[in-house]
Amino acid sequence: MHKSLKEDDTMSNNAYLSQGREVEIFKTAAENNLPVLIKGPTGCGKTRFVEHMAEQLHRPIHTVACHDDLTAADLVGRHLIGAEGTYWQDGPLTRAVREGGICYLDEVVEARKDTTVVLHPLSDHRRILPIERTGELIQAHPDFMLVISYNPGYQNLMKGLKPSTRQRFVALSFDYPAPDREVVILCQESGIDKQQAQQLVSLGGDLRRLKDHDLEEAASTRLLIYAARMINAGLPAREACTTCLAQPLTDEVETLAAIERLIQAYF
Amino acid sequence: MEEFVGEIWHKLITRQARTDFENARVHLASLQPQLAPYFRALGGESGKGIEGADHRVFNTNRRLVQRMAGSHRRFAVCWQDERSLRFPDSIAYFPDAEMNTSLYFWLTALAAELPQIKHWFVDNQTATLKLLKKRPGLIPEYQRLADAFILMRPSLVSLKGQDRQREEAIQQAIKEPGTIATLPIAKGDPIPLPLWVYPAPLHGLITSSEDDLEDQGKGNKAEENLDSNRKQAQRFDDSKQTDGLLVFQLECLFSWAEQVELDRCQEEDLDQDLSSAAEDLDIISLSRQRRAGSAKIKFDMDLPAPQNDDLPIGDGHRLPEWDYRKERMIQDYCLLQPMLADDALPSPVPEHLKNQARSLRNRFSMLQTNRQLQHRQLQGDEIDLDAWIDVKTQPHRNIDNQNLYINRDNNHRDLACLLLADLSMSTDAGLNAEQRVIDVIRDTMLLFAEALSATRDPFAIYGFSSVKNKQVRYQLLKNFAEPYNDQVRGRLQAVKPGFYTRMGAAIRQSSEILKLQKSQQRLLLILSDGKPNDIDRYEGRYGIEDTRKAVLEAKQQGLQPFCVTIDEKGNDYLPYLFGDQGYAVISDLTRLPILLPKLYLNLTGTHA
Ligand SMILES: Nc1ncnc2c1ncn2[C@@H]1O[C@H](COP(=O)(O)OP(=O)(O)OP(=O)(O)O)[C@@H](O)[C@H]1O
Ligand SMILES: [Mg+2]
Repeated sequence: MHKSLKEDDTMSNNAYLSQGREVEIFKTAAENNLPVLIKGPTGCGKTRFVEHMAEQLHRPIHTVACHDDLTAADLVGRHLIGAEGTYWQDGPLTRAVREGGICYLDEVVEARKDTTVVLHPLSDHRRILPIERTGELIQAHPDFMLVISYNPGYQNLMKGLKPSTRQRFVALSFDYPAPDREVVILCQESGIDKQQAQQLVSLGGDLRRLKDHDLEEAASTRLLIYAARMINAGLPAREACTTCLAQPLTDEVETLAAIERLIQAYF
Repeated sequence: MEEFVGEIWHKLITRQARTDFENARVHLASLQPQLAPYFRALGGESGKGIEGADHRVFNTNRRLVQRMAGSHRRFAVCWQDERSLRFPDSIAYFPDAEMNTSLYFWLTALAAELPQIKHWFVDNQTATLKLLKKRPGLIPEYQRLADAFILMRPSLVSLKGQDRQREEAIQQAIKEPGTIATLPIAKGDPIPLPLWVYPAPLHGLITSSEDDLEDQGKGNKAEENLDSNRKQAQRFDDSKQTDGLLVFQLECLFSWAEQVELDRCQEEDLDQDLSSAAEDLDIISLSRQRRAGSAKIKFDMDLPAPQNDDLPIGDGHRLPEWDYRKERMIQDYCLLQPMLADDALPSPVPEHLKNQARSLRNRFSMLQTNRQLQHRQLQGDEIDLDAWIDVKTQPHRNIDNQNLYINRDNNHRDLACLLLADLSMSTDAGLNAEQRVIDVIRDTMLLFAEALSATRDPFAIYGFSSVKNKQVRYQLLKNFAEPYNDQVRGRLQAVKPGFYTRMGAAIRQSSEILKLQKSQQRLLLILSDGKPNDIDRYEGRYGIEDTRKAVLEAKQQGLQPFCVTIDEKGNDYLPYLFGDQGYAVISDLTRLPILLPKLYLNLTGTHA
């Protein structure tokens, strides 16, 4: 942990505090040309981690935020119309496959089912990308790496990933950082003092206990950082917590009132 | 601060014999929805409910007026056991409603910090200290409560000797928790400390009801709130007169007793000796009752007299049933009787569901306008550039080059849903002190209907129960054709549990109805609380096999059956009935009303 902290200090703005062995595992997977699946709740640091690893491995990163209208063409590419007629434009996936680099598909379960099919030949030993529309068959660059992430929350319970897709990946499971690390992250990202960070983190811990029962999603590290930044910028702590840690989590009046009380128990 | 103290002082000296501040009374019922998440957030066990606490007898030194009035003998204090956290039904301890509210929250926090009490006097102080350390925001709050508390205590100068020493220790323990290791001994019990959590009661059912009699005998107004223990006693008494039709009430009673028994075992496991002899007695007698009653339970039920029953519609349908031993269908074996509660009055959404209903309607109404683009259409509102480019760039490919339009489809969610609810007598079982399973099922149906009516997806709701194969009662609650309105709401609210669960026939009938819907996706959602059963051979394997057959038939007809159950043992048999992906077990039943609409979204692949 110390090592990676030091390394990060020299890095630009992408300090990443490792939670366990994920850095080593990711590196090993990358060296062995294996694709990686990262699962974890929203705002726990998945994107940050992948960006960090891209820097560490000196590979460019191509991020695609998946949504339910995302088609295979959005990943692979499409024909466009130019001055001299139509021409082919590579999608982010194709670009990464050609030039090397990490293609990161965020929230992959959101994408339409047919998109995962183009991933299959890429994510097994073949490492090829067939482009139907141009008839091209691309062998992936040695530095190409496929990384997908998703949040196995309640909403995705039924959607899930097909087993045939899942079983093509080395899977890492993320969760919110342990309290002492989360405190460090909060200080780092927002500049507030340690004591306040600690209070925010315990409040976050309390709120996370409400998941499944009263809240659909737990308070994320991201939201804790938001609150910390607001406090650091001079907003009264209670107000910052209400706007960053209560309102974004629920619309239920009674739950909000309970969270309000909880905030008062800290600030 | 001084102003505040002065105010209390003023109110204190102007009051008479009463120690409660009626104007400032705060009720548990109104705070409960907030206290529950608060408790969970602070680390309280998430399965634990919140209930009203019974009054306990405290042997306090009462003032003469109080003794004459028969008051100040029984107090409700905060305590918890495996099952739930108990609070006084209302608090009027402080002259200020805000502070009484504050007290509820304080007790909730303290109880979360103090799941088990070994040494009442020390543990409360330690827990207070810990709590204040962990959550410094509570310090001013506690300070306020403690200051006011001291003012409400008997003044030290009015006390002598041991009484005074004890009271001094108590006040000190509140003012500076953690500083007093032992409570000095004095005669009787100290006046209860409303800021602290108490152990589970040592005086159970019998004492408390006797005490009631005594108080009533003195002409004192009976306490307004029935505590859970007493409710139990009430039920118990009812069961003694059990005969004929009341057998079923017994069944419901048993599941209560079972639960209590369970709790008790756990407590014994933990080697905790807080249980009272009286309460144990109660359970033993219940169990004995149960054994005696179990033979009766199997008796066939007489159907209700026709004038008391819902209106049967038509002569009924004959439906087949699967006999797994013979491996064949027995044709026309079940008589299914459609029923309609024609006397149910139209009624709006009940008060306790209004908020949830509104937010569900809002959320689901967004689905309605959720348009989807259909690409490569022969006709449409816009040109599909992608399609056109494909045609231009790949003339060699065999693309249908006329389909060049995008169509905006307003009603792309082409699905119909039939909700089939189990209304058998087992749903009459108590879930917790306030609710029966049927209450939750009723709320669930209502909220589900509220949500779906906002989407404009066609839906229908039916309930079922059965008395052997000769009457499978199929309750029409809302059919596909009728609009969702107060008439339907009234019918949903009027559902009553009864009889058994011949699931196969009900599924077959529902499939027949759902099949007629023209939608692409047809969802048959079954809400149940346990295995199929009836009082004939339908019990056990036979019922399971028939239900499975009915589910398979539904699938073959292109329907999508899905079962939502609250039966914790559901995992044992539901995969066999519905397939791995065909069911969900809801462990916390009270969440069912919120979960079912969500599940609907998941099943239909919609995002909201
Ligand atoms: N280990 C960590 N080191 C440094 N920062 C972190 C770490 N974990 C989380 N963060 C911070 O938390 C925030 C949220 O993280 P990120 O955006 O990576 O979440 P995510 O898991 O990708 O969420 P989503 O699923 O919603 O996309 C980031 O701004 C980052 O600053
Ligand atoms: Mg992300």
